[in-house]
Amino acid sequence: MTVPGHKLDRMFNPKVVAVVGDKGPGYMWLHNNLPFKEQGGKLYSVQLDPKEIEGIEKLGIQNFTSMADIPEPIDYAVVAVPRQVSPYVLKDLIANGAHGAGFFTSGFAETGEELGVKLQNQLVEAAKAANFNLVGPNCMGLYLPKVGVRFNNDAPVANDGRIGFLSQSGTHGIMFTLVAAANGMHLSRCASIGNAVVLDVSDYVDYLMQDDESEVIGMYVEGPRDGRRFFATLREACERKPVVVWKGGQTEAGARATSSHTGSLASSQAIWEGMVRQCGAIATNNLDETIDVMMALTKAKRPKGPGMALLAQTGGQSVSITDAFAKAGFTVPRFTDATYGELQSFFNVIGGSYQNPLDMGGTIQGKVEVLQRILDIVEADPNVDGIAMELSAMFAARQWKKNPESLDQMLDALVAQAAKTEKPLVTVLHPAHEAEYVASVQHKFHARNLPAFQSFERAAAALRRVREYELGRE
Amino acid sequence: MSFAATLALARAEGRTLLNEVEAKDLLREAGVSVTNTTLARSAAEAVTQAEAAGYPVVLKVVSADISHKSDAGGVKLNLKDAGDVRAAYDAIVASCTKHVPGARITGVAVQHMAPAGTEVIVGMTTDPQFGPVMMFGLGGIMVEILKDVSFRLVPLTERDAGQMISEIKGKPVLDGVRGQPPSDIAALRRTILQVSQFVEAHPEVRELDLNPIFAYPDGAIAVDARIVISEA
Repeated sequence: MTVPGHKLDRMFNPKVVAVVGDKGPGYMWLHNNLPFKEQGGKLYSVQLDPKEIEGIEKLGIQNFTSMADIPEPIDYAVVAVPRQVSPYVLKDLIANGAHGAGFFTSGFAETGEELGVKLQNQLVEAAKAANFNLVGPNCMGLYLPKVGVRFNNDAPVANDGRIGFLSQSGTHGIMFTLVAAANGMHLSRCASIGNAVVLDVSDYVDYLMQDDESEVIGMYVEGPRDGRRFFATLREACERKPVVVWKGGQTEAGARATSSHTGSLASSQAIWEGMVRQCGAIATNNLDETIDVMMALTKAKRPKGPGMALLAQTGGQSVSITDAFAKAGFTVPRFTDATYGELQSFFNVIGGSYQNPLDMGGTIQGKVEVLQRILDIVEADPNVDGIAMELSAMFAARQWKKNPESLDQMLDALVAQAAKTEKPLVTVLHPAHEAEYVASVQHKFHARNLPAFQSFERAAAALRRVREYELGRE
Repeated sequence: MSFAATLALARAEGRTLLNEVEAKDLLREAGVSVTNTTLARSAAEAVTQAEAAGYPVVLKVVSADISHKSDAGGVKLNLKDAGDVRAAYDAIVASCTKHVPGARITGVAVQHMAPAGTEVIVGMTTDPQFGPVMMFGLGGIMVEILKDVSFRLVPLTERDAGQMISEIKGKPVLDGVRGQPPSDIAALRRTILQVSQFVEAHPEVRELDLNPIFAYPDGAIAVDARIVISEA
């Protein structure tokens, strides 16, 4: 899907990609973008160093010693040249009719050096005059999983991405991408935006909010160049889809001159938080929180109320799961008499409990049909707005290893349950002493798009963020 | 005086801080509920104005050179008659002259002493990144020690104003605790919105404090106001 007429559309949906200045022996950028060629895109290299050309051609990539020789306009280029050369490369790109480029090249204003500042100003001036979409500089550029344009060799090629992501840090962009994939989530489009001197974060948000493939937007941001524009863009984006804002650099840079009481209390962090709330965005503080809330947004329904049914396998865990959700502001309501009546008819109360939270391991005894019955009854209870269920690796891993189908059957039952209700159903699978085994079965959760959090607290925090987002929309 | 005239006067005098009487006049004109405050240039004027305002009254020094009025002995509360007012006027002038030698004292602001209510603060400051922002918080210790305040960018919607009030940790204080009646939340919301509109209309306003505002079960009123304008 594209956003016709948007100024970033061509770059975000490239058919012709060029890598400028990649070097052996690794040829990192060419390797990153080989999938683009494999999927039928036109991938060119520009490199005039004769020592490098043989290695490039060995990869099956056509090299040009001059950009002027490339026979067609470039949609997106990756530029990895020394900083002194970068203004000339930009000139060549503009002459080619190229639409945009990610400048991996660094050493600009971020160094504070006079030469770096001067070179950056040259780039900005030339790019703005030509209306050229310069990504960065000092960035990892675009990651477009569907077409195989990548900023990291481990980043997946995938056409089922639903999260659009932006990052002011290259590391955090890549890290979010890889950790999201490890949690069964793919990106639709991603930009590492670097110094963001030509295109600011708002330009990218403006694209992602109109891009139907990006159902959810996430970003790591330290500070937009134009705060008022960011506010206006973020607010509009939040009206269209959930936006998760992970703010970096949360400490106050320094006191400001002020002669009012209000001014003395106005830390930039406090104002940022107010701005994010005013827009209706979801605030996070770190990678884990960002991953968790994305998991809740893309793999579970949205809670319409505060009442959680909490399903634990044992007594101690039923207390802990309740603590976690109660601290996050959820209620753990009494079920209706009808619910109790039904549960009572088959529940094993010796060493178990059918009060909310449920202590149900002794009743289920590994029987999927009993779990299904419990889920059906609890889900139908009008006091319940959502269900969180513990999967106990500590007790069940031995059984799952012996009989892998038993895990599959249970996960199928959970997915079937989640599909037939508007109430969120999330699972919590603490690795306990079975971290290696738990990691080995993650793909089973991912294949079913079933949310599995690593702790009660993380599940509760993610659902609380989604709940607050929903409340803000009411 | 109109906003333009007050601005021109302050700038002509090289001031960026409007005095309390100027600030309250402008805010009252903008619809904000503030205590009626007049400028007395002599003890006799202060007595006349106190009679008109109704006892008890409060006297506060008006001087471009004194920003911390209480510290300089420039505030006298709960004055019950003409004798109190005359004595307070002279005491303020004497104390302020002693604390800040050479201070230019314009006069003394006279106002009826509003009955105590729940103290809140509504303010505005100019953020280098986001421009004008509004602040709300509970007054006194909550704001001083706990920094229990909320922010929104100007311009605010009614919903923004409501959320600013509801998201502070001390919100239960406004709902009424220990037999205290609840504060008039709608009046506070209105005040926040009026100030937001006021600063939006006047970009020359850099900072603004209504501190404190007394919130009552029925209404709210700002008993002190401070406005800082940009340099010309």
